[in-house]
Amino acid sequence: MRRAGAGRKIPPGILLAIALVVGGAALIIAQVTNTPAGRAAQQTGDGAAAEAGRVATGPARAGEGFFSRIGALWGSADRIEQLERENQELQAWRDLAERLAERNARYEALLRMPPDAFGDGADVENSIAAQLVLDSGGPFTRTLVANAGDDHGVKVGYIAVNENGLIGRVVTVGQRSSRILMVDDYNSRIPVMGEASRVRAVLAGQATRPPDLYTAPFAMQSPRLDFIVGAQALREGERVITSGDGGLFPRGIPVGVARRSGDGWRVALAASQQPIDFVRILPFVGVERPEDAPTTDQGPPLAAASSYSNIGRETMTPPLSAPTPAAPAPRREPRPNVRQTGAPAQTPPPAATPAPQAAEPPPEQPAGPQE
Amino acid sequence: MIMRAPSRRVLRAWGLVIAVASVILPALPMGPIFAQPPLPLAVLWAAYGWAAEDESGWRAPIALTVLGLIHDQLAGGPYGLFPILYLAAYLIGRGAAVIMSAPNLISLWGGFIFTTLVTVAIAWLVAPLALGDNVSILPYAEAATITAILFPLVRPLYMSAAPSLRLNAGARR
Repeated sequence: MRRAGAGRKIPPGILLAIALVVGGAALIIAQVTNTPAGRAAQQTGDGAAAEAGRVATGPARAGEGFFSRIGALWGSADRIEQLERENQELQAWRDLAERLAERNARYEALLRMPPDAFGDGADVENSIAAQLVLDSGGPFTRTLVANAGDDHGVKVGYIAVNENGLIGRVVTVGQRSSRILMVDDYNSRIPVMGEASRVRAVLAGQATRPPDLYTAPFAMQSPRLDFIVGAQALREGERVITSGDGGLFPRGIPVGVARRSGDGWRVALAASQQPIDFVRILPFVGVERPEDAPTTDQGPPLAAASSYSNIGRETMTPPLSAPTPAAPAPRREPRPNVRQTGAPAQTPPPAATPAPQAAEPPPEQPAGPQE
Repeated sequence: MIMRAPSRRVLRAWGLVIAVASVILPALPMGPIFAQPPLPLAVLWAAYGWAAEDESGWRAPIALTVLGLIHDQLAGGPYGLFPILYLAAYLIGRGAAVIMSAPNLISLWGGFIFTTLVTVAIAWLVAPLALGDNVSILPYAEAATITAILFPLVRPLYMSAAPSLRLNAGARR
């Protein structure tokens, strides 16, 4: 009890509050060191919070579905007409896209290009479907909690996507829940590239700007593009996909659309087109480094194995102005080339012989996680 | 028909409910209303108000710590960050209650604005320690600003401006 006068005591509430502040600071310092106990506490807390979130949002989700169905009944005839018109337009676009895809496939076969598919390296077949149970509840970080965890096979580093594009990456896994770091978190740095221009950049989450749209739940903010290589080639509205550089994300996952913002570029995230509800968690094993699985095939010298000369030999006659390969440096000891039987490594093979290794398609694209 | 004003106890209960809801609702994927910050940090209102009116002395710090830990858990950590912010607001509120001799709405509002500014400064100091140098406190500052703007509307839930109703009112005179 506070009293006026010389013998005033500090109230117990203040003492307790000061002690708790000191305890909070100690807790933060303990977590900065990232101890296993701290991680375990976080995982346990995530699990409990996910269960609570699932229970708490159950009735709301059910009600939301009911009311959305009721709302959809209103003006359904107009909606059907509109969809039929769009469908007719899309038929024409689909025909065009199929023709172009076929032509593109022929070109790729001609050039012996390796496949550039969705999430190259991601194990799409064994992806794990999960539902979002907790949104980012604080002003500092941008994370989500999904209701799939270790029991479902989720591991740290797996990639979270929805039907529109990349959401983020799993950073913590509990027994039955996992926490996903969203791509717009300030800690998120993702190597990306323009799909058409192939301009490389780093997508830097900021979590500082208020979202553009308040009408969509979980609308993610537009991250900034940093360290753009060849920025002049990037085009407004160009699709941005993951480049796979660094080996943390598969190559080819759609991220969003490039938008000019002042002097720089931002990405309007594809995943935030619709409310994030269900997520797909993709197992991902990065592309193996050549040093990790060496072969006995040493191949031709580097200068003779340039992609230009290989493609030229296989597909067309090089133009007269084509640069001639530099003279190979003398090797210390000649090694037998197991693929090109009989032909010396430096000598360009005749057109009928198999192409050197650099122009060949990779032996096998891994379909599942590599051990 | 005579409508009786709700008792102090009822108002405080509603204040607690709003404080808890402000921590939990933004984390629940329930729709656009609660989806995005900045939302007011109602726990700051509670910390400031309970500092002036907490009768037991220990209940408010404990409640603020629990709410802060829940907030940390839902936000993805680290544990301790929000308890520090809320307890800092509580301590400043206690100081303000001692300093203000005759509180009125304006002085209480001013005191709360000062409190939120101090918590922003504390967040600016502590958040990089806990979350790394890249962290931005701008979203927190936005939420704190909204909280400060809305304070006069919710003040009756957390504290009374009348000196006679405030604990230790005599100490300010």
